[in-house]
Amino acid sequence: MVGSSLKILIADDTLTNLKQLEIVSRRAGHLPILAADGPTAVALFQTESPDLVFMDIMMPGMDGIEAVRRIRALPAKKWTPIIFYSALDGMQDIVRGLEAGGDDYLVKPASTQLLLAKLNAYSRLLSLQQKEQGYIEELESWRLEAQEQARLGAHVMARLTDAEGLRDPMIQSFNLPADTFSGDLLCAARGPGEVLNVMLADAAGHGLSAALSAMPMTQAFYSMTAKGFPLASIAEELNRKLKAILPADRFVAATLASIDVRNQTVEVWNGGNPDAAFLTAEGKVSMQWASNHPPLGILPPALFSGDTDTVVFHEPGQLVLCSDGLVEAEGADGRWLGLAGTLDLLARAREADGGFAALREGLERHLGGRPGRDDISCILVQVPMERRREVRAASPMPRHQGRVEEWQLSLAFGASELRYIDVVPAVLGLMTQVEVLKPHQGSLFLVISELFNNALDHGLLGLDSSTKNLIGGWEIYMQHRAEGLGRLDHGRISLSFLLREDEGRAVLDIDVADSGPGFDHEAWLRGLDPSSGDTRPHGRGLALVRSLCADLKFPGDGNRARARYLL
Amino acid sequence: MQIASTLDGNRASLSLNGRFDFHSHRDFRAAYEKALEESGVREIEINFRGVDYLDSSALGMLLLLREKAESTGKNVVLCGLQGTVKQVLDIANFGKLFSVKG
Repeated sequence: MVGSSLKILIADDTLTNLKQLEIVSRRAGHLPILAADGPTAVALFQTESPDLVFMDIMMPGMDGIEAVRRIRALPAKKWTPIIFYSALDGMQDIVRGLEAGGDDYLVKPASTQLLLAKLNAYSRLLSLQQKEQGYIEELESWRLEAQEQARLGAHVMARLTDAEGLRDPMIQSFNLPADTFSGDLLCAARGPGEVLNVMLADAAGHGLSAALSAMPMTQAFYSMTAKGFPLASIAEELNRKLKAILPADRFVAATLASIDVRNQTVEVWNGGNPDAAFLTAEGKVSMQWASNHPPLGILPPALFSGDTDTVVFHEPGQLVLCSDGLVEAEGADGRWLGLAGTLDLLARAREADGGFAALREGLERHLGGRPGRDDISCILVQVPMERRREVRAASPMPRHQGRVEEWQLSLAFGASELRYIDVVPAVLGLMTQVEVLKPHQGSLFLVISELFNNALDHGLLGLDSSTKNLIGGWEIYMQHRAEGLGRLDHGRISLSFLLREDEGRAVLDIDVADSGPGFDHEAWLRGLDPSSGDTRPHGRGLALVRSLCADLKFPGDGNRARARYLL
Repeated sequence: MQIASTLDGNRASLSLNGRFDFHSHRDFRAAYEKALEESGVREIEINFRGVDYLDSSALGMLLLLREKAESTGKNVVLCGLQGTVKQVLDIANFGKLFSVKG
């Protein structure tokens, strides 16, 4: 059927009747196809797939009733009306015709006027049907396309979510989608200094549209974690990125956490997610981090705050992050599981796996087999107490073989830059471009961080390390540091690196100097003596540098550190 | 969700009733667009007293309204916050983005 022009199959063994219908069809602007007997009619129906059929009944061989039965027995994609046009005018004939599959019955002879009126009526019906068919096809193609997009989304999301970092032995997690796939995004990775970063992001909505908002986050999270950027800078970057690409009504609630086992700290940024919590081994909640920022992607960078809250932990436990889908998981009675219910499930479990299985079982019991209304996700980090005071000798590097070209890097930062630049990741980013240094990223990060922080904290800010020994001292220290940094208006830190060959061995000389008055390294070195029994946290920083380097010296007034790192 | 709109001097007030979620999109937009068009209106007040549930797409709609209101020099005020609704808006720290009246 093209436009309103119909293809009309006319079957009749009498030439006069064929002619009459042919003329009427043509006059109404349609295309007639003629068949002089039943078998031809059936054959033409199959090859021409007409829009409408006029069928005589009495024909030699196969009659019209049989022909219609056969036509109706064929597989049909559309409805093709069949009008019997016969001289038989008995009630039984009409009933027989309609029962065989006819839609209408006209008794011969009919006037041209009546035939034309019938044709027009069927033409209107067919055009309605065609429109409807169009809608059905369109709907079907939308459905297929949506299915295809969901498949692609699920694949990409699965790849993004299935990060090596989530298989860290310290981590357990689950992510139960409300739709074909979850818009919650879980990420975890180790920074260069062994610090573990985790992120639980929950984009508004669920399914593909939510996943689309969460996708841009993974790359920034992983690359910045790998380079050792602080949590605040990662949050700022994620917000900047999402703000730039998402429309005003889209945003991503997120919890970022940094777990530093060596320094016994847990640092959290929470924007729009339920409280993160630290549970002790006895199941006591020792710390809760409420959301104190709007979700990511709403505030312009100038108004955004990456401020985090850090606590020192004094006993092992577990850090719990979850999306609101878990807290708002509805039971059969409409009651939410709640944050208290979640923590309760974890706390009551005494299993070795820290209650992860208990939480999953409890959630399933609560949901009673019904799917969640929203994506439900949770990350559990088992936080151990590091008994060993020395850093594990980060997997020993094979000694560098072959010649080394001399390479040198010198940088200096003034007070105004020190306030906002993440110096260590920036420097490390440059250094690890060098092939020889790349495998040493982890150790170099630790060494440079310690020397740089030493220069900044003690050299320029004049902070007192012993503050850290007080109860709640770390928090006070970090607060003094942030305040001092905010006020810093003079001072300078310079870093220089020289990669060279020394007696057939590749060596990196690291030199970090500050413009401060210097401090008493003699006292500090005495504190390092194992026999003095010093296990203070602040003593460990430089001890770590010493264990990673072949040599560590403080020439001059104590405002310069020179380390020799063997490759 | 039902929305009752009133206009009082330079303040347009939308009182919401029922579940404020994805399905409220068209009604909510129609209601605030009328308020945005009134050039005399300086403040658009959204009253949540009758709202018993709020989801993340509702938060998105509020952000969209906030953006449009800012571009026409109008202020959006949230009021009548209680129970779950208050909790959801608190977790999202919307108090840092909107003026909030008791």
